[in-house]
Amino acid sequence: MIFSLPNIAIVVVLGLFGVGLYGVLISRNLIKVVVGLQIAVKGALVAFVLAGRLSSQVDVGQSLALTVIVADTIVAVVALALAVQVRRKFGTLDIPSLTSLRR
Amino acid sequence: MAGILIALCIGLPWAGALLVWWIGNDNPRWQHSLAVGFSAAGGLAALALIGLRSQGAGLSLKVGGAFGDFSFVPDGLSVYLTAIATVIGSLAVIFSIDYMRGEEQLGRYYALVLFFIGSMAGLVLTNNLFLMFLFWEITALCSYGLISFHNDDPKAVAGGIKALIITQLGGIGLLVAAILSYSYLGSFDTNLLLQKAPELPANVLTILAFGCLAAAAAKSAQFPFQTWLPDAMEAPTPVSALIHAATMVNAGVYLLARFYPAFAAVPNWREAVMLVGMISALMAALMALAANDLKRVLAYSTVSQLGYMVYAVGAGGVLASQFHLLSHSIFKALLFLGAGAVIHAAGTRDMRQMGGLGSQMPFVRTVFVAGALALAGVPVLNGFWSKELVLEAGLSGGPVWVFGLMIFTAALTALYTFRMVWMVFFGENRGGLHAHEAGAAMKTALAPLALGALVSWLLAGPFSRLLAETLPHHSIHALPTGEILLEVIKAPATYIALAAVALGLAAWWWREKLRLFSEALSGILWVAAHSFGFEAINRGVVSVTNDAAEDLRGSQTGLLNWNVLAIIIALVLVLLLLALGA
Repeated sequence: MIFSLPNIAIVVVLGLFGVGLYGVLISRNLIKVVVGLQIAVKGALVAFVLAGRLSSQVDVGQSLALTVIVADTIVAVVALALAVQVRRKFGTLDIPSLTSLRR
Repeated sequence: MAGILIALCIGLPWAGALLVWWIGNDNPRWQHSLAVGFSAAGGLAALALIGLRSQGAGLSLKVGGAFGDFSFVPDGLSVYLTAIATVIGSLAVIFSIDYMRGEEQLGRYYALVLFFIGSMAGLVLTNNLFLMFLFWEITALCSYGLISFHNDDPKAVAGGIKALIITQLGGIGLLVAAILSYSYLGSFDTNLLLQKAPELPANVLTILAFGCLAAAAAKSAQFPFQTWLPDAMEAPTPVSALIHAATMVNAGVYLLARFYPAFAAVPNWREAVMLVGMISALMAALMALAANDLKRVLAYSTVSQLGYMVYAVGAGGVLASQFHLLSHSIFKALLFLGAGAVIHAAGTRDMRQMGGLGSQMPFVRTVFVAGALALAGVPVLNGFWSKELVLEAGLSGGPVWVFGLMIFTAALTALYTFRMVWMVFFGENRGGLHAHEAGAAMKTALAPLALGALVSWLLAGPFSRLLAETLPHHSIHALPTGEILLEVIKAPATYIALAAVALGLAAWWWREKLRLFSEALSGILWVAAHSFGFEAINRGVVSVTNDAAEDLRGSQTGLLNWNVLAIIIALVLVLLLLALGA
C-alpha cells in the first residue's frame, strides 16, 4: 500500500516544506523569501492534520491547522508590509545589499 | 515592624534615586537636599533595624515556584552591614554637596549613588541566593556607572568597563553557586544551604565553595582580580569612599563570612582563602609603597586591608574579620573623603606636587592623621584593635609563615601610611599649591567618621553579641568589650604586630640613613609599580579577546539567508540532542 493516504500526505509535507525552505535559503528577493516562508508553513499545516489523524485526534489536529492558517496570514501581512517599507526606505528588495554589517 | 524597616532601608534610597533623577538638573539645590534627605532617612531606618534583629525572615515576598521566596532576614551580619552602607552612604552624599557643586548632570550622579545604597542594603539583607546575585550585579552596574561618571574622559570609561567586566567574571561563580544550590536543595535559601551543606555531594560543595571564593575575590579586588580597583579611582572621590572602600568591596568578605560554616570543611578551601588574603595584602602593600597618586595609594591599601579580612575568614575568625570590616569602613571612608577634600582644594592627585598642605587645611589634616593612624594600626584607634584580633585569629587558625608575612605587611602598612601623610601634609610645599580649607558640608561628613575611628572599638562587646545572637551556624561567642580588649592586650601577637608597626614608622623616620637599604629594595618597588605584571596579563587577555572577535567577524554576515540556515541547523541539533537524550 505505498499509495496510502498517510504516505501521500508525508510526501506532500516534505515536498512543500522542502520547496519553501529552499526558497527561504536561496532567494535574494525579500518578497520571494516571504513566499517561501508561506509555502513551508503550508507544509507544516498538512503535517498537523496528518499527525492528528495518525494519533486518532483528528479534531485537535484540524483545529491546530486552522489556528496556524490565521497566524500564518498575520505573518504574511506583517512581513509584506515590512517589505513595502524596506523598499520605500532603501529603494531595493535585494537582501545582500540590505545588510549594514562590515565585511 | 522589621519588615517595614527593611523595605524602608532598600526603598527609601531607591525612591530618592527616582525623585532626584526626575526633578532634573535645572534644580541642583533641590537635588542636593533630596539626596541628603532620602539617604539620611535610609540610614536612620537601618540604625533602627539593628534593634529589631532576628533570625527569622523579616520580610518575605512570594514570587512563585522557580525563584523561591524573596525573603529578607535582619540577622546580625546583615543589619550592621546595612547600617554601614546607608550611614556611610549618607555621609558620602553630604560630602558630595561641596565636592560635586557646580557639576553638570547631578541627577545621574545622585540617582546612581542612591540606587547603589539601596541595592547594597538589599544584597546583605536578603537570604535568597538568586536575589543576592541580582543585587550583586546591580551594585556592579552602579559602580560602573559612577566610575565612568565623567564619560568624556577615556580613562574613566576604560576604568569603569574594566571594573564591570572583572567583577562580572567573578559574579559567574556566585550564579553557579546559586544554581547548584537550587538543583541540589530545591531552594535558594542561604540558611538551608548552611544547614544542609554536609549532606551535599563533596564535589558539588567544592564547586560551590570555590565559586563563591572567585566571586568574592573579584568583588573585593583580591588576588588575582585586584587590578580593577586602582583604575576605579577615576570615579568622583565620594564614590570611591562609599563604593570602593566602605561598602561594595566588602561584599566579597561578607559572602565568605556568610558561608564560612558551610565551606570550612571543604578540603583546601580555608588554605586557599588564607593564601588569597595574604598574597593580596602583601602585594597591595608593596604597590602602595611605590605609588605616587594619592587615591591609588588608598586603593592599594584598601586591597591590602581587605586581604586581612579575607585572611581572617580563612583562619576561622569570622568575628575578627567583620570587626575589622567595621573599623576599615569607618577609617577608610574618612581617609578617602579627607583625600577628596585635599584633591578638591589642590586640584591634583599627584603626591609629589603636594607637601606642607597641613598648615593650609588644619581640620582636614587632623582628621586625616586620625584615619591614617587607625590604618597603620596605632593604639588606641579602632584599626589597632581589629587588626590585632585578625592577627590573633590568624595565628591560632592558620600556618605560622602566613602569620609572619601578615606581620611584615603590617609594618609595610605603617611605612606607606606615614609616607603618604608626610608627602601630603608635612614637609615643604613642592608644587607651590594654594589649598583652601574644606567646606561646611565636607566637615559635617568628616567629623563623625573621625569620631568613629577614635571610639568605634568600644563597640566590640555589643558587636560580638550582635553577631553571636542571630547567627546559629557560625559559633561566635559573645564577650563583653572589656574581655575582648583584655584578650588583645594579653596576646603575644599584639606586641609582635606593634613592634612591626614601630619598625615601619622607624623605617620612614630614618629613611635617609636607610638609603642604601632602600636602593637594594628598589627592584622590588619597580616591579610593584608595574603591578607585578598583572596589568600586562590584563592587556594580553584583552588583545586575545579582540583578535578572536576580529576573526569571528566573518561568521556574522548579516544576510537573511545565512541567518535562517544557522537557525535551522541549531534547531536540528536541538532535536537531535532531545532524540538522543530521550
